[in-house]
Amino acid sequence: MYRPVTRPIAAVTVVVVAVLATGCASHGVRNPSGNGVTVLKADEQGFVAGTGVESQDIVSVTDKMARGILETPQIQRAQGQPRVVLLPIENNTRFAINKDILLTRVRARLNSQTRGKVVFLARERMAALEKEQQLKQSGQVTSASDPNVVEFQGADFFLTGRLDGSTTKSPRGVSDYVLYTFQLIDVRSSAIVWEDMAEIKKQGLDDAAYR
Amino acid sequence: MCARMLPVILASLLAVGCASTGSPTQAGRDALLLSYRAASEHMRRLEFAQAKPLLDDAVTTLGGISAGDNAARKARGLFRAESTKNFRGEPYERVMAFYYRGILYWMDGEPDNARACFRSAQLQDADAEQGSYQADYALLDYLDGFVTTKLGGGASDALARARSNARLGQLPEFDSQANVLIFFEMGQGPTKYAAGQYGERLQFRPGTSRSRSLQLKVAGQVVQAGPSDDLSFQATTRGGRQMDFVLANKAVFKGSTDSFGDAAILSGAILAGSSGRRSAADEIGAGLLVAGLLGKVISAATTPNADTRMWDNLPNLLGFTALRVPPGEQRISAEFLDASGRVVLSREVTITVIPGTRDTVLFLSDRL
Repeated sequence: MYRPVTRPIAAVTVVVVAVLATGCASHGVRNPSGNGVTVLKADEQGFVAGTGVESQDIVSVTDKMARGILETPQIQRAQGQPRVVLLPIENNTRFAINKDILLTRVRARLNSQTRGKVVFLARERMAALEKEQQLKQSGQVTSASDPNVVEFQGADFFLTGRLDGSTTKSPRGVSDYVLYTFQLIDVRSSAIVWEDMAEIKKQGLDDAAYR
Repeated sequence: MCARMLPVILASLLAVGCASTGSPTQAGRDALLLSYRAASEHMRRLEFAQAKPLLDDAVTTLGGISAGDNAARKARGLFRAESTKNFRGEPYERVMAFYYRGILYWMDGEPDNARACFRSAQLQDADAEQGSYQADYALLDYLDGFVTTKLGGGASDALARARSNARLGQLPEFDSQANVLIFFEMGQGPTKYAAGQYGERLQFRPGTSRSRSLQLKVAGQVVQAGPSDDLSFQATTRGGRQMDFVLANKAVFKGSTDSFGDAAILSGAILAGSSGRRSAADEIGAGLLVAGLLGKVISAATTPNADTRMWDNLPNLLGFTALRVPPGEQRISAEFLDASGRVVLSREVTITVIPGTRDTVLFLSDRL
């Protein structure tokens, strides 16, 4: 006697549920969830666009540069230990970065791998070094050698680099290409005795809630 | 019995679904907004060391891709308001986070990182709906070029772009010998409000500024500088957002379910009252009544409201000027002037100009 009563209720409920299920508010928005960031090879065709300089880039780029420097004939065949000074990198991308980290990692990599084949001079510590020398010269602290003799070493090479970037933004996302170039410059001749580059391209698309 | 319980179960699921899932608190979702506001305050009080970590957090967050953000996904859902997403701000707000951080980098002697921030700032505006308003901050291109010139590069293209977007006055040639760089801001920035039947349309009220220019007196020079960009203009020329489509669809759904509810309740009441108890019409009428009520509940639970949280202490006008000042301690008199040249606010600043290539960077606001 009561069975027919349930049918309209059930039917109407099914309709309401169906309306709910199909009533997606994101309808008409392309890829509303966005795409995650993917690291791509620079020569790989990406599907959208990307982000900035990250730890994996720093590791891969500086490893490549350290290997390249070691294979340079001027370093391999050098008589004695070539002395290298790091010059600050110029950042010409849209990403604010800690620029020192790149050269610091190259230096650490070379120092750990070559065990003294290349000597890096701590020019960024010159103020402290000069102060220490003045203390020695004035007799305020002891000195193992004649403090009046200048022993600060001159550089044979400058190691420096540059980051350049190119950015594209469209409704499909943002794409960033970063070119890393490093140079070893002979201080006497100003010749660039070694140069290498690495390039990374990344793409990404924000969630529609932020577009 | 099961069929009778179905609407109840459905309504319960809806109610439970709205309240559960352990989502982050509103304070957590507003974290970036609070950082933005605090950074502005610190900048105006010249507490740059305090502003820096706040802005670092902001630009780091903004630099990441938000794909897969659960809060954002939920905010697109029918029953969550847009304001439940983690706040990042509209493009003009994101621009300001990068802009402020860029100023601080320049202060710290890192003009190339400052330029990086200005470029990222400009990129925030690159997807405005209409092409003529895309990446059209004159000041950001100008600063990009200015840094490039200072670093020895060519920047004629950046100057050309800046000049083509300059709406508030001519921009001078870059002076690579300028050693005192002054960033200034004036007025109260734009505000947000929700329009539309359900508040689903995000709109902006233009800000205001009594100050219209800055006059500087330093080392025998008197220089007057006007603004280069207007945040109200930038906020109101962005056009539609992707999220606006989502909110519009939510609004349509809310309206449709509400109308369906009205119609079902009315028809159900008529049907149920027109025949005797336990007749077929009575049963169908009862079903429609339940469905109508459910429709009303669903409509009420749908939240198409636009997110009107805002960085509410932004300025309205942004300006920059560069001076050549002799090294040493210098006293700068800065006067913000209104349109008729009357002084709105005056400030005295003492700076130490460092000899060499490092620039001295000042930040001045007409809001203390």
